[in-house]
Amino acid sequence: MPEVAEWERVLLPDIEKNETEWLADYVRKGGYDVARKALDMEPEAIISEVKESGLRGRGGAGFPTGMKWGFLPKGAFPRYLAVNADESEPGTCKDRPLMEQRPHTLIEGIICSCLAIESEMAFIYIRGEYYNGAKILDRAVEEAYREGFLGSNIFGREGRKLDLVVHRGAGAYICGEETALLTSLEGYRGYPKLKPPFPAISGLYGKPTIINNVETIVNVPFILKNGADWFKKWVHERTTGLRLYSVSGHVKKPGVYELPPTVTLKELIHDYCGGMRNDHDLKFVIPGGSSVPWLKPDQIDVPMSHEGVAAAGSMLGSSAVMVCDHTVCPVWALANLSHFYKHESCGQCTPCREGSGWLYKIVRRIEAGDGQPGDLETLYSLAGEGTPGSGMISGKSICALGDAAAWPVGSAIKQFREEFEEHIQLGKCPYKERNISYWMAEGRFVNESFAGTPVP
Amino acid sequence: MLEILKDRTGEIERLIEKYPSRRSAMLPLLWIVQRQEGWVSQESMKEVAEILGVTVAEVYEVVSFYTMFQQKPVGKFHLALCDTLSCAICGTHEIVAYLNEKYGIEKNKVTEDGLFSLELVECIGACANAPALLLNEDLITNLTPANIDAMIAGCRQKAGAPAATA
Ligand SMILES: Cc1cc2nc3c(=O)[nH]c(=O)nc-3n(C[C@H](O)[C@H](O)[C@H](O)COP(=O)(O)O)c2cc1C
Ligand code: SF4
Repeated sequence: MPEVAEWERVLLPDIEKNETEWLADYVRKGGYDVARKALDMEPEAIISEVKESGLRGRGGAGFPTGMKWGFLPKGAFPRYLAVNADESEPGTCKDRPLMEQRPHTLIEGIICSCLAIESEMAFIYIRGEYYNGAKILDRAVEEAYREGFLGSNIFGREGRKLDLVVHRGAGAYICGEETALLTSLEGYRGYPKLKPPFPAISGLYGKPTIINNVETIVNVPFILKNGADWFKKWVHERTTGLRLYSVSGHVKKPGVYELPPTVTLKELIHDYCGGMRNDHDLKFVIPGGSSVPWLKPDQIDVPMSHEGVAAAGSMLGSSAVMVCDHTVCPVWALANLSHFYKHESCGQCTPCREGSGWLYKIVRRIEAGDGQPGDLETLYSLAGEGTPGSGMISGKSICALGDAAAWPVGSAIKQFREEFEEHIQLGKCPYKERNISYWMAEGRFVNESFAGTPVP
Repeated sequence: MLEILKDRTGEIERLIEKYPSRRSAMLPLLWIVQRQEGWVSQESMKEVAEILGVTVAEVYEVVSFYTMFQQKPVGKFHLALCDTLSCAICGTHEIVAYLNEKYGIEKNKVTEDGLFSLELVECIGACANAPALLLNEDLITNLTPANIDAMIAGCRQKAGAPAATA
């Protein structure tokens, strides 16, 4: 096992310490100097620096940030910035340490971004489960107001203003989808809206709105401070900058790793995360949050960039890597994820609402030993082959949750067809007895009622 | 007429003023209710409706959409244990079984002393520290039988309940 040397980290240099950097500390280290400098820049100049850096959204879709900002219609005001801190794609847990440890970097990023898009009001929409994060942000925002960095006449500049509100969600994955986030922020059920119109044209309260992920915004002050070329030091094809990879599951050292996009999935798992827990074998990896296609062990020698992961047949998504060892039954894992999407479908469109329910029911019954011949064909016809637009759900609903529910199904069956068939033929899950003996040998607390069938 | 929220009107008005639209204060108001009462009752929904100038049905529509709002009383210590993949493969169900056998805490039930309730929830964003749960609003990570014991003992102490159970 090669030792991993110290590597350069920018966003979360001291993640292990898990300490909040409050205003006094932040300012002592030069914090808010970039915001001061940005006040003297033309909005166009900020946008072009961000464009030049190649910064792409860290929320999942990887859309170029500077280009998105450029879509705002000229002369239309007010404009809003909504920071997406809903972080609810399973496997993703990087925005939480960013907010808890570096709240003022986020606030400075918001100030710089609002100067770029000429907005005087911003919101941080933080998922309800992140109560500690919301408390920290509330206090940091209060500090920034007191110091005159937020509010009226910011940094002592006559007529320059910016208000910032921290808004808590209350438990709904769909509110991470940008249009649902806005309807939720307006005080309604978090229902997505059909696009177009895109939020940049008509968003919050019908006004032009930019939505960006927490990590995207946190990168902005670093880019303005060090320049676009500095950011492009870390590059693989069209993916630039360091990024936060959330690694969970059966590795020795799960965690949030800040690395360049040239790092391979294999290095991430075997070097940085110390390899597989208990030296078990790797069964499969979900490389970009729960909705992306699965990869087998022979597919992980790829750079963790948008292009690298796409070439392997999956997506970088929110760069959340879920690692499953050979004790994980793929049918069971799929049932777990299908349950998630069925539970989180907002119910507006029939293909997604009904389709996600059928997918779950069928996968669940295969896992429970009640699979029927023909079930896999039914699943394929619903979910397609794990590619956009195929099947009866993907591309046929208002938002991308429909696709997210379908893709893992198509891909899991493609990767592990024999195991699905084995479940149907045997009329039971072959993993159960095997796992109980593994777990007993490892001294884990084992109980007949859960082993192998932990789906609610 | 406000009953449940009558002492909170100053705070509520300041909160509403932060938003360009009154209705945006919907979730924050419901959070005020839930944090004060432990759950969101029909009566409190009426008060929220009155404050925001919307119908009770509109408030109910929102409450019923968001899973963190409790529509029935829960235990003084509500455990929301994550059951999505990253946690589930790291032992969520060992924790469920342990809570069950050692403490009689069962899914979707409140214990007889009113202290504990348990709910299995979807991903709570603690994937790299699995399994994890929310104890009311605090995140507890890397769960093991040992730190569950410590957590339960801490709760009982806070509630002034005797330390040992069955
Ligand atoms: C179902 C669904 C859930 C999403 N959840 C999140 C989320 O939790 N956090 C996030 O930043 N983006 C999420 N997104 C992506 C957002 O819609 C949006 O693209 C993103 O916030 C834009 O910011 P970025 O360009 O900075 O990435 C989700 C999208 C969909 C379709
Ligand atoms: S695709 Fe699903 S989640 Fe999205 S709007 Fe339609 S029903 Fe709601």
